[in-house]
This record gives sequence, structure tokens and C-alpha cells, in this order.
Amino acid sequence: MTAMTITPSRSRSQGDSLKRIVAVTRLHFVNRFATFWLPSMILGFILLLNIAIWYLILAATAGVDRAQTEKGFSYSGAVFYIFIYMLIVAVQAISRTFPFALGYGVTRRNFWLGSSIAFGLIAVAFSALLTVLSLIEGWTNGWGVGGHMFAPSYIDAGPWYLRFVLYLLTFLFFLFFGSAAAAVYVRWRSTGMIAFFAAIALIIVGAIALITLTHSWVAVGTWFVTSGPLGVAAWSLVVTFVSAVAGYFILRRATPKN
Amino acid sequence: MDESKPIFLQIAESIENDILSGALGEETQVPSTNEFAAFHRINPATAGKGVNLLVDEGVLYKKRGIGMFVAQGSRARLVAKRRDQFHTEYVEPLLAEAAKLGLTSAQLAAMITEPIAARSTTDKEAAS
Amino acid sequence: MTTVIEVNGLTKKFGRFTAVDNASFRVEKDRIYGLLGRNGAGKTTIMQLLTGQLFATAGSISVFGETPVENADVLGNICFIKESQLYPEDFRPRHVFASAPWFFPNWDADLAERLIADFRVPVNRRIKKLSRGQVSAVGVIVGLASRAPLTFFDEPYLGLDAVARQIFYDRLLEDFSEHPRTVILSTHLIDEVSNLLEHVFVIEEGRIIVDAESEDLRGAATTVAGTKGAVDAFVAGREVIAREAIGGLATATVGPLSAVDRSAASAAGLELSPVSLQQLIVRKTTAAPTEFEQSA
Repeated sequence: MTAMTITPSRSRSQGDSLKRIVAVTRLHFVNRFATFWLPSMILGFILLLNIAIWYLILAATAGVDRAQTEKGFSYSGAVFYIFIYMLIVAVQAISRTFPFALGYGVTRRNFWLGSSIAFGLIAVAFSALLTVLSLIEGWTNGWGVGGHMFAPSYIDAGPWYLRFVLYLLTFLFFLFFGSAAAAVYVRWRSTGMIAFFAAIALIIVGAIALITLTHSWVAVGTWFVTSGPLGVAAWSLVVTFVSAVAGYFILRRATPKN
Repeated sequence: MDESKPIFLQIAESIENDILSGALGEETQVPSTNEFAAFHRINPATAGKGVNLLVDEGVLYKKRGIGMFVAQGSRARLVAKRRDQFHTEYVEPLLAEAAKLGLTSAQLAAMITEPIAARSTTDKEAAS
Repeated sequence: MTTVIEVNGLTKKFGRFTAVDNASFRVEKDRIYGLLGRNGAGKTTIMQLLTGQLFATAGSISVFGETPVENADVLGNICFIKESQLYPEDFRPRHVFASAPWFFPNWDADLAERLIADFRVPVNRRIKKLSRGQVSAVGVIVGLASRAPLTFFDEPYLGLDAVARQIFYDRLLEDFSEHPRTVILSTHLIDEVSNLLEHVFVIEEGRIIVDAESEDLRGAATTVAGTKGAVDAFVAGREVIAREAIGGLATATVGPLSAVDRSAASAAGLELSPVSLQQLIVRKTTAAPTEFEQSA
């Protein structure tokens, strides 16, 4: 009884909140293998597979106009895999890491802020990676076989930094949209999911109907052409931003269940 | 631990027993509350309650910064206390039961003295 | 004594189901509490309410003097170890132990290391590949090593064998002695923990039916067994917690008995036996209300 240590009573300091937000951000990166190495390795594998396929096609079509064949290679959609992977990363961050972090005594607000920072960092890191790979792709004349995995023609926004911005906006879109969708699930479970996807389907069908009824398809096409890939991606910021804000308010009243 | 009475009383009793048997001599240090708690696998506060009971009764005393010690003369006091308890807990029910069975005081005395005598003879035999 | 938790009229409803029904209680600083009751009685719900994970339907909760809901100052002092805790996908124990110190300023890495060895946790195996007991051990280690001023253990040891549970109790007592803190432990293995607990709450169908010092509960009940007539005569006018009869024999669990009561009971040829905390709670939580009325 004599050597009773004094219990640390509850701490309360100004920098505490920031520390906890940063802790949440770090929590998303503690398993670096799942966040960085695994998607990078799969990306590398897809690249090798693509190069092999391009090479085989070139070999099979030897004698045919090579330039014509290579033009076909510029429409690769392989890079989309990584966006979907990040969508899943975001979904799991909310559905699995959220209840875990609450047990660590994290508030929903700090969890969302910390996660948003993590999403931003993931988007920057992978955009940088894709941009670097696209530059290598250019310098090596499409990995020696004229392939375009990282700078396919439909997202070729010109200079490398615009390509970086394009990637960044796309990553942010998938990450925040995924986390908002997961927040709907965490808060309202499968009922919420059904309503959520029904609402999205309704918006898409509504938009299509509106465009069709007002005979605006030509105008829409023109808009896509004049806006260019970067312009279209910039508009995705609206959805990204709405997802980020809505996700926060949805999660704010969510309760974790196992 | 016995389920029928509070643990702190049992802790106090076990310390008393150690003092009575001489395992804990006067002016020797007794284990700390936390050591009692760990040994008996009980809550430290409960162990503390048992120790404090003995402090209140003057059996143990606190040396600031060092620990708990058995007080001077506590063994004699405990013997006196236990003798009183022995009377109320054992002798009185014994007498009540004896009266119910119609045992005379001579018969009762014989029942007590004979085994004691027998035991002392076997002790002597064992010793020789 | 400092009050850490104060709850008044707390009610939580899920639709029509009332999980917590008008509960009021207090928790004092640096003591070990037991939250006991059957599965589904509302133990987890109370813990989730106290940690701001669930929102109360009615009533007030004050933890460290403030509401816990979305309160970083309050929650920063809490560690909540839940039964079958969900871990982030593909987490391994080492990820848990690496990240925990960022959230718990009092984290003791040496203690964590020791506990990992004690419980033989394979730190590099995926959590979803671990056995039930190993997953529980991960939670127990975090709960102990975090040294949070307010720690909740909700059925922390599903799948832990008797040896591992004993290690948990020993380490909890040891660390609690050196670093006192407020611990709330929910369990249905009451006999195993009854000596560790200083205070006990028993919850039944969302209501707190016992709120007492565990020392006061010890010896608070005795089972009286004998012929039906003798038992009935003895318990007449007493509070009977439970009663059973087989043919001409009966047992009844009654409240505290004095020395006079005891000798009266033996004189009547009745057999007395102490009731453990677990038996007492089993009897209290299974007795039909009509039995209570009959005895009253």
C-alpha cells in the first residue's frame, strides 16, 4: 500500500485531438502490405500480362501494318483495376476499421477526419506511381511493344502533371464514394444499401430519361469532348465532395455492430 | 476461500492464525496488501480491508514507507480474544446440546478429559 | 471517492425491444466492477452506451463528468475490449500491438510483450486464421497493456482455456495493484471472477437487479435443505430467493442468517450450505416473479 503509484487521470490537452486524428491516419497504414505492396504487386503483374499479350498480338499479326495494331493497344482499361481496389480499401476502412477504432476510444469525427487524410495520402501516392509509370511507358515506347496501360488515349490529358491531377481526382472519387457507401451500410445495414443503390439507379435512369426526352445526347457528347478528360474528372469533384460530407454526417450517428 | 463469509474476514483470520502459530512473530513484517491479493487471487481492496481490520484492532501497525508489522503483545491479545470466541462458539453450543441429551457434568468432563489423557500417553509412547 | 460514471434512468430501445430499462448506478474510481447476467440481459448494450458507441433512448450518462458521446476528452481515457471484436481486414496481431500505443498514452510495451509470451499469441498470423482463444488473447493484452483509466472487458475470454483465464486474472490483479484504474468486467463465469470483483451489478432483462459490494453478497444467502414441512416452517416470514421441492424434500435459498437462526435450523434437522455468488445470481435470475410474491 505504501508504494501506490498515482493513476494518470484523464488527459486533456489542445494537441490531443490532432494526435488522435493522426493516429487514425496511421492506423490505415499499419498494414502496409494490404494498402501499398499488394495492389502494387497486382498492378505489376497486370502490366507484365499486358506486355505479354501485346507482344503475342504483335507476333501473330506480323506483316500487318504495325502502327495500326499499336493503335488498338492505346485503349487498355487495365489501370481501372487499381481504382476498384482502392474503392474496396475505402469500403473496408469504414466497415471494418471503424468499429475497431471506436474500441480504441476514437470519436466518429476524428475517425472520419483521420480516414480522409489517409485517403488523400493514398490518392497522392498511387497517382504519383501511375504518373511515373506513364512516363516510363512513354520513354520506352510503350514497354517496347507500343502498349498504353498508364496513358491510354482516352485519359491522355497532355503533360504529365495534368495526368497526375486526373489520376488524383479519380482516386479521390473512388475512395470517398466507397467510404460514403460503406457509411450507409454501417449505419443502416442492408436496408440502407438497397435504398442507396436504388437511389443511384434512379438518378442515372432519370438523367438518361431527361437527356433522351430533351434530345440532348448530342449536346452531352459535345460537352464531353469540349470538357476533355480533365474537365469531366473535375466535375467528379462534386460527387467526391458530397460523398465526403455526407459520409461524415451518416457515420456520425452510426453504431458499430458485429 | 470459504463461500459463507466475507473474504476480508478470512484474510484477517489467516493472519491471526499465523500470529497465533508463531509463523508471524511480533515485530516482524507482514506481506503487503498486494502480495496478499496476488497470493489469494483476490481484489487488493478486499485484502486491504482485512489488513486494516487488524490495524484497527491494534494487532498490526503501520510503519510509514516500510509496511505493516505485527504489534508488540498482539499474540497474547489474540489468544485472549480467541478464548472468548472459543467459549461462545464451541463451549456454549456444547453445553446446550449436552443438556438436551441429559448428560451430567461428570459425564461431559470425562468425555473431554479421557481423549486428552489418551493422546498424551500416545505422545509419550511415540516419544520414547 | 471519485465518481467515474454516473447513470440515471438509462433506457435503450431497439424498436419495440427494451435492451436497457431505466438503469441507474454509479461507478467509483480505481475499483474492479463486475457486470453480471445472462446472455442477452443487456450487458454489452450498457457498455456500448457508456462508451458512446450507442445512443441512449432516455436517461443520462456521465463519464468523467461529461457525456461520452463523441467526446474525445472522455473517450481518450477509455479502452473497450469487446467479445468477438471485429479487426480490420487482413490484420495480424502485430498490427494491433503496433497501433495501440498511438491511442493509449499509458501503453506499456514491456507488459504487452510479456503477455504475448504468456498467452503464446502468434503475432505474425492473420487474425482470421487464429483460434477463438487466440483472438480473445489479443483483446485481453490490449485491455491490460493500454492501462486506460477506464477499461471495459466485455466477455473478454471466449475460447480461452482455464490456464489462460487464470493468467488473465493474475495479470489483471497484478497490474491493477501497481496501476489502479477503473475496470468493468462483464462475464458469466461468475465463480471464477467473484474474488476479483469489488462491486457487482447483476442485470436481468435490461434491469439492474443487484447493485452491491461483492463482500456483502458473500454469505448473504444460505441454502436450507430438509423435509418440506421443516423447510416451510423455517423460511416462513423470510425473504426466499429461490425454492425447489422434490417429493417430500425441499430446498430454499434465504437471506442472511444469524447465529441464532443457524442453531434453530440445525435443531429443526435442516442442513445449511453457503451459496456462492454464481449460485445466488443463477437463483435470482431464474426465479419466476410469482415465487418472489409467494414468499413475500
